[in-house]
Amino acid sequence: MKKRITHSVKLTCQTLEVDGKRVAMAVEGESFLTSLYHAASIEYPKFFKMDLLSKVGFIASEYLLNAEGKERFQPADDRAILLFNRNSSWNADTTFQQTIDNPEEFYPSPAVFVYTLPNIVTGEIAIRNKYHGESDFILLPEMSEAAMDQAIDRAFLDPATTSVLAGWVEAISEDDFEAFLTITEGY
Amino acid sequence: MELIDELKTKMIEALNLEEMTPADIDEQAPLFGEEGLGLDSIDVLELIVLLDRTYGIKIEDPKLGKEIFTSVRTMADYVAANRTK
Amino acid sequence: MIVRKIGESMITPLGFSVEENFQAVLEMRSALRLYEHCWNMPFPCQLSLIPDDLLEAAFQEEVELPRLPSPACTRFEKLSLLSAVKAVRQSGIDPKSERVLFVLSSTKGNVSLLSEKTVDMQRVTPAHTAQLLADYFGNPNTPITVSNACISGLCAQMEAYRCLLSGQYDAAVVVGADALSPFIVAGFQSLRALSVEQCHPFSDSRKGLNLGEAAAAVVWEAAEDYALDTSWKMMAAAVRNDANHISGPSRTGEGSYRALQAVLQRSGLSAKDLACLNVHGTATLYNDEMEAVAISRADLASVPVNALKGYYGHTLGAAGVLEVLLTMCALDHGLVPATRGFEGLGVSVPLQVSAETMKTSQRSFVKLLSGFGGCNAAAAFTR
Repeated sequence: MKKRITHSVKLTCQTLEVDGKRVAMAVEGESFLTSLYHAASIEYPKFFKMDLLSKVGFIASEYLLNAEGKERFQPADDRAILLFNRNSSWNADTTFQQTIDNPEEFYPSPAVFVYTLPNIVTGEIAIRNKYHGESDFILLPEMSEAAMDQAIDRAFLDPATTSVLAGWVEAISEDDFEAFLTITEGY
Repeated sequence: MELIDELKTKMIEALNLEEMTPADIDEQAPLFGEEGLGLDSIDVLELIVLLDRTYGIKIEDPKLGKEIFTSVRTMADYVAANRTK
Repeated sequence: MIVRKIGESMITPLGFSVEENFQAVLEMRSALRLYEHCWNMPFPCQLSLIPDDLLEAAFQEEVELPRLPSPACTRFEKLSLLSAVKAVRQSGIDPKSERVLFVLSSTKGNVSLLSEKTVDMQRVTPAHTAQLLADYFGNPNTPITVSNACISGLCAQMEAYRCLLSGQYDAAVVVGADALSPFIVAGFQSLRALSVEQCHPFSDSRKGLNLGEAAAAVVWEAAEDYALDTSWKMMAAAVRNDANHISGPSRTGEGSYRALQAVLQRSGLSAKDLACLNVHGTATLYNDEMEAVAISRADLASVPVNALKGYYGHTLGAAGVLEVLLTMCALDHGLVPATRGFEGLGVSVPLQVSAETMKTSQRSFVKLLSGFGGCNAAAAFTR
């Protein structure tokens, strides 16, 4: 089987590139991610409930899928979602830890806890796009194009999978995150 | 009335109802379902934590939540009757 | 080409080998205990915890400490290393070979480190532990860690299966582990998912799940197919998403149903071939109902269903490995284990839940798991 990357998005806390072209963005009085949300005319209030990792993955996937240009939100089971990072759900983990650190103020937050799994971002993308195909999250000791490429190859071993939305999504803090997502088509 | 506004403000913060102001929330409107605020099961649990932390109200059975969290109005009535702080 | 099992290990409060664990399950012993204020938390809960002294003794005996960067290991690191060492030794593989891949399955790794005053951020992620494992064995490949919520243990084996079938590697060591901590227990408590009683899978009386800690490891190898091979083989695996809700299971069992369909189709197995469906069976209201609906939709309602959570609780990243290995061991003895805690069917569709230990002559089974993020996994095994 052969495969090719058809679209890509690179998102950091300051820049967004879609298919290699920088998207200009004026940020006034709101975070970069919220600006990108508005600039793409997304109407999805659940976005604001997401943890940082999911927000980063969600925004990157929105721009990626808009670039692909196919009709959105059609139920599909032939596209896998396969995301990677090193530090798992670090941002949500540390936020949740704060809700249980003080025995006098022990109020564990259910809404934060559900995000203390890195694969929730794959679920958010699947829900948004009605993707019933494979979804998986893999942690690597460091960013490795080779290891990710091998894993994408393996995802195509599911005969139902004809394309893979894949890539690296790391979210440490509001000013330290990155996503590099691609759509890979098999042929 | 003060309690209602206070609850609205705290709900917006606790549930990340971004881009909403207290004025946008009708105190009689259902919190759940399509025609209301569209809250879900996790939101109920978060509201239970909010009542515990802010008003010292412990709700052991989340099923009770259905009646308490019908609208902001019913929440406020329950808080007024049961608050310990 | 086939993918067959050549090594295994299991570390739980019920024993430090698969056979010991199987005997305990046969005797219907549970590792769950009621703790009034575990780790000073303000609520009682049932947990399955591995005693520190037993873990430490086995760790000191089996693991060569000079091969570690530091002898001071966390519980999670000890569980992972100990189970890997035992499985690798039994398999006889050369773990230094570039043809061997290490795959870790964990949901929360070293998250308990977050409660310390100075947090070593690098060490919290299970990806760090996976590298520790690879380094311990002198393995040159980048280890992968599957962190796909509660289905991680099956996903990790699916990755191994694909690595071997595609010729990327000749053998894969899959380690499933999670250590419990206030972080995990308080989190599930905040979701009101925990039962203060020992859990009752698929029963009317079910009130929620129990949590447990465990490690289990399996070594899978690619081999030529030949008729006399009696080792356990992995036939097919699939993961599908509900695309419905990040924490609530689909009412139609969408992802589980689709995963089951894919696995049956690819393995060529049908209801009459299966000794049992070893399901997730967490004993939450919605999980068990969802699984029952999915099984019914997949025309598998006539197959005995069993769940092991009444013995171990939900062991998170270990569950997919532990429950597969224990089912294999039981079928080696011609038995389907009883579903401990089952008290009469409490789901909306008919289901053959194994209330007692049952005899079987079948040598194939399907494993089912579901997790947050809407993910669902199914895999078929045979011997």
